[in-house]
Amino acid sequence: MIGLSSYLVLAALVFSIGLFGVLTRRNAVGILLGIELMLNAVNINLVAFARYNGDLIGVIFTLFTISITVAEVAVGLAIVIAIFRVRRTVEADRLDLLRG
Amino acid sequence: MTVETVGFWVVAAVLLASSLAVVLTPNLFHAVLFLAAALVATGAIFLLLAQPFLFAVQLLLYAGGVVTIVVFAIMLTERLVGQRIRQTSRHLVNGAIVSAAVFAGIAGFLLRSPLATPTPGPAADATIAIGRALVGPFAVTLELLGVLLVIALLGALHFARGEE
Amino acid sequence: MTLNVGLPLLVLAMPFVSFLFLAIVGPLRRTGRGAGLVSIAAIAISFAAAVFVWTQGFVAERTWPWIPSDGGPIATVGVLVDPLSNAMLVLVTLVSLLVQVYSLAYLSDERPASLGRYYTYQSLFVFSMLGLVLAPGFLQMFVFWELVGLCSYLLIGFWYERPAAARAAAKAFWITKLGDVGFIVGIVLLWSATGTFEFTELFEKAQDNALAVPGLAVIMFLIYLGAVGKSAQFPLHVWLPDAMEGPTPVSALIHAATMVTAGVYMVTRTEPLFALVPGVLTLIAWVGAFTALLAATMACVEGDIKRVLAYSTVSQLGYMMAAAGAGAAPAGFLHLLTHGLFKALLFLAAGAVIHAVGTNDIFRMGGLFRAMPQTGIVFIVGTLALAGVPPLAGFFSKEAVLGGVWEAHLTGPFLMLALTALLTAFYMFRVVFVTFFGRAHAGGHPHEAPWLMRGPLWLLAALTLVVGIRLALRGGEGGEEAPAWLPPLSIGLALAGFALAWAMYQRGAINPARVASALAPLDYMARRRYGLDALYAGLYRGIILGFSRLIGWIDRYFVDGILNALTALTLRAGDSLRHIQSGRAQDYVYGVAFGVLLLFVWAQLWR
Repeated sequence: MIGLSSYLVLAALVFSIGLFGVLTRRNAVGILLGIELMLNAVNINLVAFARYNGDLIGVIFTLFTISITVAEVAVGLAIVIAIFRVRRTVEADRLDLLRG
Repeated sequence: MTVETVGFWVVAAVLLASSLAVVLTPNLFHAVLFLAAALVATGAIFLLLAQPFLFAVQLLLYAGGVVTIVVFAIMLTERLVGQRIRQTSRHLVNGAIVSAAVFAGIAGFLLRSPLATPTPGPAADATIAIGRALVGPFAVTLELLGVLLVIALLGALHFARGEE
Repeated sequence: MTLNVGLPLLVLAMPFVSFLFLAIVGPLRRTGRGAGLVSIAAIAISFAAAVFVWTQGFVAERTWPWIPSDGGPIATVGVLVDPLSNAMLVLVTLVSLLVQVYSLAYLSDERPASLGRYYTYQSLFVFSMLGLVLAPGFLQMFVFWELVGLCSYLLIGFWYERPAAARAAAKAFWITKLGDVGFIVGIVLLWSATGTFEFTELFEKAQDNALAVPGLAVIMFLIYLGAVGKSAQFPLHVWLPDAMEGPTPVSALIHAATMVTAGVYMVTRTEPLFALVPGVLTLIAWVGAFTALLAATMACVEGDIKRVLAYSTVSQLGYMMAAAGAGAAPAGFLHLLTHGLFKALLFLAAGAVIHAVGTNDIFRMGGLFRAMPQTGIVFIVGTLALAGVPPLAGFFSKEAVLGGVWEAHLTGPFLMLALTALLTAFYMFRVVFVTFFGRAHAGGHPHEAPWLMRGPLWLLAALTLVVGIRLALRGGEGGEEAPAWLPPLSIGLALAGFALAWAMYQRGAINPARVASALAPLDYMARRRYGLDALYAGLYRGIILGFSRLIGWIDRYFVDGILNALTALTLRAGDSLRHIQSGRAQDYVYGVAFGVLLLFVWAQLWR
């Protein structure tokens, strides 16, 4: 009797772990990995709801988010590489030009 | 104990373990590999939820494409020669507390609300329906997604060109 | 014969028309002499009408509502004509006419535009004074009272480029304002107690004993304060000597015959009300007598001829007020009339002397009788009148005042007034001897004044004599019989003063310096005006400047302090909040996470 709530709790766990990664990783790419986990958890949520509500909206939503995530990762990593070219570092602590 | 139940617990364990490994392991390369494992485990979850098409998409795009891209990025942004790729985190405790709090919040809301518990009947293969939906009601969205991908491609190209 | 109320209105209106005309028609005013002729013509008409009204014994009252309300107007304007006001009408218009004629010669070397301004002010002043005299109620009287004060300011400060004149004008204005504050408060209190401003109604109420208001003494005292300021009673007398900075004709008009008498006139006019508060009347008598004595002592050591006359005016005003306070208001009023004549005479004669010699200091004059015999003669006539020598008018009025004070059993004031009489004769003859006799100091060629100046002088001297003889023939004023020893006493005091002055200044028998050192403390105080000016200046500096310093301190430390604290707070808060913007994306994610947690709390997770 794995209910909907099990999947949702699982997704919440993965989301929190991803958040932890975003908050603590020093390397910019590491932060992106955390973001991946969070998006993943969202997908699990969506599909679980699709299954238990009996319609396909969640699945289609998931397809789209996967695609968008791929695009976002590509562009994000391109930015990281560009930063690396200029600053010779991708350590998040050093990237504080927007400091107030 | 049905197969589904056992399967769920196993897959959940794998997913959680690899997720933790992604965020905790000091070596970035290892982290990427663990991410691949997590993504595959997620695909397995999709299978459990009777979405084989999604499982395939997940494997192709995520576990295949994204991981590859990230590996390349790591290669390009670390000085590899004669140097171990090291990654240490900072302020672990703060992050742990905040994440735990967020989880507690979400879980709290989840467990309070009444949710549909019994699994509806076995689901039919949804692939055809998905296909029909994509060129039907969601056609515009699909096209926009295409545009987005083109834009992303152009953006990545621009950044990749460097100072010429 | 029934007379139209239009006649007194004509008296009042002519100077006003002249003022309007001169004020509006700039080119006419700027011709100087032309303005003077317009003003003189207007006032001549006023004078003729005033004489007519007076000789016919006209009595009337006519008012128009000014502030209407249910149950009758709150305030009215109009005229109240009776023997008291008629006599004042004649005095005011007569002296004004003579002064304006005199001014044509005295101010002949004034710029035409300036002269035009002078005559505009003169017209306005006469109008204001007449409005005050004819006022049927307190409110109109107060309005014209203030207007008179304004004209006094304008005329004292006529030569406004002179700092001393400007200061004197402001001082006069300020000091009289102090009295006027009491005046208006008293008027309003009286109105709130009785519901009316009008004299006739108030006098009726007094008759019917319907004025037993609590605090009436305080109210009447406050009203009296207005007279204290305007008529230069102690301690608000300090403005009058300084007012001599104005042209001499102005001093003759305003500070001898008309404006300063407004206070006495007011007390005399409202005598039925003051009679209800005998305590205040006694105070008035004492203050008046004290003022008389005080001013006389200061006149004895003064070397400026106009200042001597100014102190003399203060002293004689004290006489008038003392009479009013003693319940002998008619005697005081008689003295007002006679004093108006011979004091104006003295001032105008002094003006002729100043005009000829070019200085006010009597010790720089001397032996002027040979050069200016006519002026000398009229000056001596005025002096005799002031000293109270029969058969000149001053004798009868002064005797009436003394008699009235004696009859009221006010011994203290009586003694003060008697001593003052002695001193009056002394200091006036001192001036006469030093100025007109003795060695000639004056440089230049002192000569007789032109006829435009001498004419008024002779007229006033003649009037002094004529009025005196008329009073002698009529045999005393009112029903109060003075004690038999009074006339010899007053004549004796005058002669004693004359003898003393002769001995000290003409004959040189007594050395003035030795007398001064013998009376050293008194001499010292008198020369420094008893420190009153210094006291006022110190109070002003102390109170106003102290207050302004306090306000400044509050402004700097409280008001600015609050603002500075706010800005410092803002800056410091900004400085510390700035660290939130670390520029690191992860810190911002922390922020988002906190926000989400807050949202959970807000959505009441724990319920």
